[in-house]
This record gives sequence, structure tokens and C-alpha cells, in this order.
Amino acid sequence: MKNSLKKQLESAFKNTQIHVPENDRLIINVEKDRVISILKFLKEKGYEHLALVSCVDWIEEKEFEVVYILSAYLQNESEYTEREKINIIVKTRIPRDDPRFVTVIPIFQNSEPYEREIHELFGIHFEGHPRQTPLFLERDYKIPPFRKDFDTRQYVKEVFDTIPIIEDRASEK
Amino acid sequence: MRELELYFGPQHLGMVGNFSITLKVEGDRILEATANPGYLHRGFEKLMELRKWIQNFPMVCRINVVEPDSMEMVYAMAVEKLADIEVPERADYIRSIYLELARVGSHLFGLWAYANMLGFDTVAQWAMYHRDLLLDLFEELTGGRVYHIYIWPGGVRRDFPQGFKDKIVTTLHSIGGCVPDYDATFFHNRIFSQRSKGIGTVTREEAQEMGATGQVLRATGMKYDIRKVEPYAAYERVPWEVPTREDGDAYSRIWVVRDEMIESVHMIFKLLDDMPQGEVYNKVPNPFKWTIPKGEAYVRCESSRGELGLYMVSNGDDKPYRVHFRTPSYPHGLTVLEKALKNASIADVGNIMISLYVVAPEIDR
Repeated sequence: MKNSLKKQLESAFKNTQIHVPENDRLIINVEKDRVISILKFLKEKGYEHLALVSCVDWIEEKEFEVVYILSAYLQNESEYTEREKINIIVKTRIPRDDPRFVTVIPIFQNSEPYEREIHELFGIHFEGHPRQTPLFLERDYKIPPFRKDFDTRQYVKEVFDTIPIIEDRASEK
Repeated sequence: MRELELYFGPQHLGMVGNFSITLKVEGDRILEATANPGYLHRGFEKLMELRKWIQNFPMVCRINVVEPDSMEMVYAMAVEKLADIEVPERADYIRSIYLELARVGSHLFGLWAYANMLGFDTVAQWAMYHRDLLLDLFEELTGGRVYHIYIWPGGVRRDFPQGFKDKIVTTLHSIGGCVPDYDATFFHNRIFSQRSKGIGTVTREEAQEMGATGQVLRATGMKYDIRKVEPYAAYERVPWEVPTREDGDAYSRIWVVRDEMIESVHMIFKLLDDMPQGEVYNKVPNPFKWTIPKGEAYVRCESSRGELGLYMVSNGDDKPYRVHFRTPSYPHGLTVLEKALKNASIADVGNIMISLYVVAPEIDR
């Protein structure tokens, strides 16, 4: 199952790196312009459950990695097949100084909140996304807080050390 | 009629947890719903990047307050996969028993929320009491009532204490003995069926398109359960069934929850009978000097709410490089909820939200 899928992918998308780390995982590294077509292809093959859209900040390589994790829903009710065990990880890299990408909502409807979250926490702009409004955060950050160069401790120091401690104020009197 | 904007939650009797929904209503009909998470965002995934592999355990369990145990499990599974650690057979059984106990406890909590919302206060009190009996078991086993931190990479923290097996059996019998009472007062009650039938219906096609798992999908008739699809711990070693319903409404979802609790209890009895002797823990390196080789892993398990996944990246350091939890409430509370609330009436908002089994801290992380 997995090997035939690998062959199909390799014949349909030339020069695509496919890596099989273990039995039921498949890692596909693609260039960013091919993500849409490869996701469409996989959805047609029955991998229609988008479990997660994630993002990794590779700060030393000056790149963001956008990660899509796909698996399959059940085909028949009576038995569980090999197909449903496979998790496919589709990865692509985009430059850190120009963080733009396209949305995959037309293919997978449920990617909407995931992309919204990545936009907020990593500052990646998804073209075609209908509402890139804040999801979790209530403050505006100079650096999006999940990037590696956002220093949590320094931020806390800057924000909260400027507020005087009550004991200090009492001693002034 | 005039359109109004209505804020539902976080301070509302029909709302469980810190979550709010902005509704656009016309009379009693909802035109549009917008979910507002973020009241409990603590940035756990970022904080985990600053702590060593083992130091993250007290943090992962706080992501889901109601059922912290499957969070520990999924984190331990990811670390085991990246570091290539084996788990002894007895530990697998103990993990399964422990997770099923947690599932029953979590479902009782969910039943409390649902019954409370509908005004069935008696049933709600029963469910809370029975959950408390399970918390007593957890306290004896792990020392903690709500957050247990019992599962570690390589096994579990300690073996069952003496006589613990019998205590599990006695407790589960006393809870199971009340199932006829629950049925008579709640599940076969006409008020329950009239308030929940046809409410918040999600068809199977819609559920699949929106990435739903767990009860939301099983209430539409699909037997999708990670414990069967990709078995972990000891779930492959005992026979059990996946309960389903056909209609996809609130009524079906709550019935799936009830059937799952009963199935879990039967499964615990089978696991207790089969449990082998032996070690419960494989030694791992000194946790303060522990580095894990470069790599990435996606692991998943079935929490009481659906598919719980974890995408973890290691760059060969003593801390994780990136952790991202795929929590089941995320698609249920953001995508499915907004869709299911369209054209519903204001009185059904709490009903739909609680029957979708949304836990707010899981969305926010």
C-alpha cells in the first residue's frame, strides 16, 4: 500500500523527495509551488483527513517549514486496512524574510483555524485566507511570539519590570 | 426583524469552560456564529521548547484539564518514538487500564456538564460523585487526584499497589450498578430525547470535510477510532467493540458517550484478567543529561474526545525543538461548532456546544 503510493507519487511528481522513516509514516518534501497539487492528488487518493497544519521556525537556515499531516478515514466499516494507518507528512519551506504562502482552504475546509493560528503566532501571511484576525492573543507583538527569536523571558522582564512592586511603593512613604 | 449581536460566554450558565461565542441573531434564530477562543492561552508549546524532555510532563497534562492522562500518553509516545525506547508488556496493560479509567472519568464529567445544562441536576450530581470515586483510585495509584503524571517514557512510574486490582473491580461494579438508574432518569427520559433529537445535526460528509473525529464522527455511524485504526498500548490484545449511532445529532452523540463508558468498563475487566507479570519501567538515561537524536514524529491516540495527535521535532538537543498538539476540540470547537450553530435557536447553543464535547483549554493550549 505504502510502496505503491510512493511509486504513484514519484511518477506524478518528478524530483520530489519522499522519505519513509518507518512502517506507516511517509514524509514528503516539496517545493512550495507544488504543495497545492500534491495535496489535491493525495485527497483524490483517499487521504482526506487533514489532521494538522503546523509550522517550524528553522532560524539558522532562515526558513519556515509549513507542515501538513494527512491520513485517511475508513473506507469500509467491517475491517481496518493498511491505508488508514498511514500518516503522510507534507513539508515545504518558505523564506523567513518573505513569509507568504497560499491557503489550502479550497481543498481542506478545516485548515482555516490552523492557518489563522500560524498567521498569528509565526507571522506567515496566507494569501486567500478569509479572516486572518487574532485567534488567541490579545496584545500586539513586534515579533510574533512563536518565532525562535522571540525571547519569552526578556519579554516578561520588559513588560512587567516597568510596573512598580507594591512593597517598593510602601517604603517610599 | 432587526439583527442583533449577542455575546454568549465566557460567563454564562450554558457555557462550560472559558470560551465565548459571538452570535449574530435575528429574533431567536442564529444567522452566524463566531467562536472566540483564547481565554486560556498559556503558550504551552512555546514554553516546552525551553524545558528538558522530562520537565514537560507536568505541563502537558494541564492542556486538557478534564482528561490529562491521554496528553501524558501522547507525549510519552512521541518521546519513545524519537528516542527509540521499548515499553515492557505489563506497562502497556497498565497504561491501557489507566487510560480507560480516565476515559470513564472524563465521560462522567461530560455527562455532568450535559445533564446540568439540561436541568437534570440529580443526574449531574450522580455523575460527579461517580467521577470522584475514580479520582480516589487515581489518588491511591499516583498520589494526585486530577493531574497524575503517571506515564513516563519507557513505561509507568510505579506498579499497582497491593490489592489495587480488587479496588478497581469494586469501584467499577458500584458505578456500573447505577447504569439502570441513569437510563431510567436520563437516557430514556422523554425530556432528554425531545431536547436533543435533531439538534446540532452534522452529517457524515460534513463531519469528514471538517476534520471531525471522536463522538462527532461516531455519532454518524463511522467506526473511526484510533485505538482500532492504529492500536497502541494493549488495545490490540483484548476484543472490544466501537459503539456508534446513525443520526449525527446531540442525542446520538450523548448515547455514543454512554455506550463508550460501558465498553471501557468491560475492556478494563478483560485487561485486568489478561495482565502479565513483570517490569513496568525500562530505564531511560539520566533525564537532566538526556539528548534525543534529530528527527520528527507524528503520533496519535484516541482521547475521550477524538483523535489526539502530537507533532514533535527534535534537533538533537536536550529540549524539544517544536511541539504541536493536534487536539480533538480544535476542529470541533472552531470549525464544526460555527457550522452547527447556523440556523439553531439561542436556547440550543449550550446544548450543541456541550454535545460536541468541546473543552476550551484544549483549543487554546
